[in-house]
Amino acid sequence: MKDLLKIEWLKIKNYKAFIILLVFFALGIFTANYIVFSVFKNMINESQATVLIGQFNPYDFTNTWQTTSYTAGFLLILPALLLIILVTNEYTYKTNKQNIIDGWSREQFVNVKMMLALLVAIFSTILVILTAIVFGFMSKTAFSFSGYSHVGFFFLKALSYNLLAVLISVWIRRTGFAIGIYFIYLGAENIISQLLDVWSIKLRNNHVIDLGSMGDYLPMNASDALLGFPDNPLKALAKNALPTDYFWVDVCLAVLYIILFYWLGRRNVIRKDL
Amino acid sequence: MDIVQIDNLSKNYGKVHALKQVNFSIPAGTVFGILGPNGSGKTTLLSIVMDVLKPNSGGVRLFGEKPSEFHRKQMGTLLETPNFYHYLSGEQNLRISAAIKGRGEKDIDKVLQIVDLLKRKNSPFSTYSLGMKQRLAIAAALLGDPEVLVFDEPTNGLDPVGIAEIRELIKKLSLQGKTIIMASHLLDEVEKVCTHVAILKQGTLVACGDVNEILVNEDIVELASNDVEALKVLCAKYPGTPEMAVSDSIIKLSFPAGKANLQDINRFCFDNGIVLSYLNLKKKSLESKFFELTN
Repeated sequence: MKDLLKIEWLKIKNYKAFIILLVFFALGIFTANYIVFSVFKNMINESQATVLIGQFNPYDFTNTWQTTSYTAGFLLILPALLLIILVTNEYTYKTNKQNIIDGWSREQFVNVKMMLALLVAIFSTILVILTAIVFGFMSKTAFSFSGYSHVGFFFLKALSYNLLAVLISVWIRRTGFAIGIYFIYLGAENIISQLLDVWSIKLRNNHVIDLGSMGDYLPMNASDALLGFPDNPLKALAKNALPTDYFWVDVCLAVLYIILFYWLGRRNVIRKDL
Repeated sequence: MDIVQIDNLSKNYGKVHALKQVNFSIPAGTVFGILGPNGSGKTTLLSIVMDVLKPNSGGVRLFGEKPSEFHRKQMGTLLETPNFYHYLSGEQNLRISAAIKGRGEKDIDKVLQIVDLLKRKNSPFSTYSLGMKQRLAIAAALLGDPEVLVFDEPTNGLDPVGIAEIRELIKKLSLQGKTIIMASHLLDEVEKVCTHVAILKQGTLVACGDVNEILVNEDIVELASNDVEALKVLCAKYPGTPEMAVSDSIIKLSFPAGKANLQDINRFCFDNGIVLSYLNLKKKSLESKFFELTN
């Protein structure tokens, strides 16, 4: 695998879009968190808000891991976009064919793309860790690993976004079309998820059947559900009205969907004409 | 040993049958031409051999074994169009090909020299002309000095000098004992370099074997006289009764190459009371043989 990744590196190291998108992503994570950081800092100074949220600081240590992960989660579309471009480029320029002709197996071709998705997820996670530490110290609190598990959930979410990007790319093959389908899918799944969530609340209130928020059981929402904004007095109020959060069900589903994305992508490359 | 063995290979694109139960083998050390008009299935066949396409039925064996990526690494292949990363230079692209093959990295300058691209090796692939792209693809196939070379329409996009150079290159490679598999619709190209040939027509194999046996040349004798009908009757009686065809009041007799004797024919007609108004010997071209096989 190391050799395969070296070859992949030869392909992308001179690709400007790759560098530019990654830099945008890194800046984006920092900027988005800085905005949230400033908003809360100002809120604490406003007397009315202080009454409601007390001394809650989303970026103190213990909270910073979760807040940074949650905020960065909204930007995961950028590396997914990058992966779609990288994979569909191979189809556009038929270099996928050339790689096979030159002596890669189809398994190697798809595995190296999946591995790239994994590496980008790891890179995103490292960015989140660094950002979380920076904002933790900016909040003038003492370093703590408490709440660190949220970084792990961010990693699962990043991997899920990236593998879906690779799956759609090998399936659709054309860049513009694949990007379109990716966004349409995310949007459509969100709408269905919200409808399911409303239904879940009704079920719980009218029939006392508490199946949790069923919208969270859909592929991308399962990993979205792993990250929320840290608990605070405002959130606690709303929580009573919602169905039970079966958190570990969401974790298991997120892992299962990741395996499913990998399996479907691999199957497509191995079986179909290139 | 057979380098490639094609067994009962069929491939459909929806309702279109691109290949219909094709069977043949490519022996080691031959220059094997796969010939056929556009859309006859040449590229489809080679794509299946290289695992780019999946057959609907039948199979392929490479080097007598079930094909794998290890066999492909030992073959230098140019398939259909030059496929390279447009934003990388010629040299960077070859570096990727060599890394995938696991050999040939030291050959990069040498192969670029062979195809006359050394001066442009640092220019991005996207700035290359069609002919230069084709040359780069040939260079990539030569990396690592493979024993088997597969060229699909190798002279596409090349100028006349380039075509002659590639022809010479193929001859040179074949003299080194390499097996060369070449798909082409250019008969001239095949006739000049190939030792064996397989001819495809709409996905069906119509002929396969030694090029001299398959594309055997014939002598055509054209005759005419004032009385075509009488001449026709007479020609049917000519010793050996050659194959006869009539078009535009000219009678065409086919003889095996070198067997037509105009003097004898002229005398035969005159002795039988017919004076010829026209008598001409034509070598039957490979082209007409090809039309005959594929139409």
